[in-house]
Amino acid sequence: MDEIRALSAQLAQDPQSLVFLRLGEALRRKGQLDAALRVATNGLERHPHLADAHDLYARILTDKHDYEKAFDEWDMAVRIAPHHTGALKGLAFLYFKIGDLQQAEAHLAAAKRVEPDDPTIDQAIEMMRGGAKGPAEQPAAPSPPSGAASIAAPAAATGGLDEARVFAGLEGANEGLLLIDGSGRVLGGALKDGGGTDVTDAVAAYLAGVSQEAARTAKLLGLGAWNGLSAEGQHGNVHLAHPTPDALLLVVRERGIPLGRLAILAQRATLMARRWLERQ
Amino acid sequence: MSPHTRAVETWTLQPLTDFVREASARLVLVLTPSGQVLAQSGFSRAVDVMSAAALAAAIVASTGELARQLRQPPFAALSHQGPRTGFFLATFLTDRGTLAVLAVYDLDVSSLGIVQLFYEQLAADLKAASPKGAVPKQVLAADFERELTDSLNTLFGR
Amino acid sequence: MSAALDLITRVRGVRGAMLVSAEDGLVVAEQLMEGIKGSAVAALAASLAGRLRRAMEASGTGRSVFWHLQAEQGALLVVPSGEESGNLLVVAVAEPDVNIGLVRLELLRAAEAGT
Repeated sequence: MDEIRALSAQLAQDPQSLVFLRLGEALRRKGQLDAALRVATNGLERHPHLADAHDLYARILTDKHDYEKAFDEWDMAVRIAPHHTGALKGLAFLYFKIGDLQQAEAHLAAAKRVEPDDPTIDQAIEMMRGGAKGPAEQPAAPSPPSGAASIAAPAAATGGLDEARVFAGLEGANEGLLLIDGSGRVLGGALKDGGGTDVTDAVAAYLAGVSQEAARTAKLLGLGAWNGLSAEGQHGNVHLAHPTPDALLLVVRERGIPLGRLAILAQRATLMARRWLERQ
Repeated sequence: MSPHTRAVETWTLQPLTDFVREASARLVLVLTPSGQVLAQSGFSRAVDVMSAAALAAAIVASTGELARQLRQPPFAALSHQGPRTGFFLATFLTDRGTLAVLAVYDLDVSSLGIVQLFYEQLAADLKAASPKGAVPKQVLAADFERELTDSLNTLFGR
Repeated sequence: MSAALDLITRVRGVRGAMLVSAEDGLVVAEQLMEGIKGSAVAALAASLAGRLRRAMEASGTGRSVFWHLQAEQGALLVVPSGEESGNLLVVAVAEPDVNIGLVRLELLRAAEAGT
């Protein structure tokens, strides 16, 4: 606690200093996640273009199991500093978590090119190649940031989720997200109804009609091109968007998720789907 | 062109094809008030076209007479709707003379509102496309059967 | 009903409000600014509502209680109303930057008033 007290005092003396990075990490390691989060967000407000600040924030979010936001933060860190190994390892961890071994290994390889002597990266790659552990072996709170080797732990519990790779790192990547083409054919994601029945194909078939009608309605009413359709249902909310002119993305969430938040989630999923489609 | 959309008078074809697509109509006839069919969509048998055209012409005539007796202009449109299917019949004026459109639609893919909305476009397109200054050709009784056969052959691609 | 539509149109950015027959796509009541064609709004909103309803039922999210089509130059906001929440639609046509939350509230109020 002495370290935390000392760092807090330093930060109080000079709120603009970068000591918040060490304080936030110290708090995170002690498990004081709410305090760590406050330190990180305050630091980010003062240093929004500092990759380390986004990296710290992402680590804390990961500890809080908010993988969707963590992905965004690491993604931002890599945009600011493409060789940021912490962020690359973090992204590798999230890809690994949803079973996208290819992306996970690519990010680890990128980190290794920057830091070829970092043994934790080799260790993580080896463990990843050596076989993933099942869901029962997953630790309750994975903590990738302190070492890429921890990637091996949460792992390919999601081995059957190839379709979810489109939405790697996004909250609920393996359910409630559906990407289809203009003819109603599934490109990625999956949907289940309340009873657990797979309704992917049925919904995909209807969505093509919804999209055509939305486009026609917007056009004929002089509203221009449509860019989103949100709906509150009795048992859940949905948002429909089109990442490209020929593709449709549906996000389905429980009723408690407000439409505004759903739209933000859909926006992120749209970006990811667009990138994924471009790579095809 | 839809394989099920055919026209005796080719200027009707494009407007009709657009209407069928936009309104999701199952069956459509473009005809004169006397029952002469200019174009059809969705019908598979000549006998059905003949029946529908005769009935539509009869409805146009009877409602026209009803309007006359009420001393008002002819009814612009008429619609009936059942539990699954509806039909819409309307007349409008073109350079080719008065024309009627009969549209049958299924309620699970279309609605009266949609049919009416795109009928307005169909009527406008047909008015614009109709041959200017054309005087409708009188069909003589002697030629009637041959005209009818020719029309049906065209409508069913024989 | 016209009072309820009036309240919807008082929200800044709303260009018109209507009550629409969901099955027929025909106008039941309307209060529209110049340039908005009520019959087209009614027909298209009802058609989109029908297709959306089928997709939502298939996805297990149930009937929609509110939906919102966002476009570059405007928005269409709809609350199903009437018996079994499906016979009528309360519809608003709005500018793209309208306060959606406020319009939603007024639509829901109008739906209650209209049933």
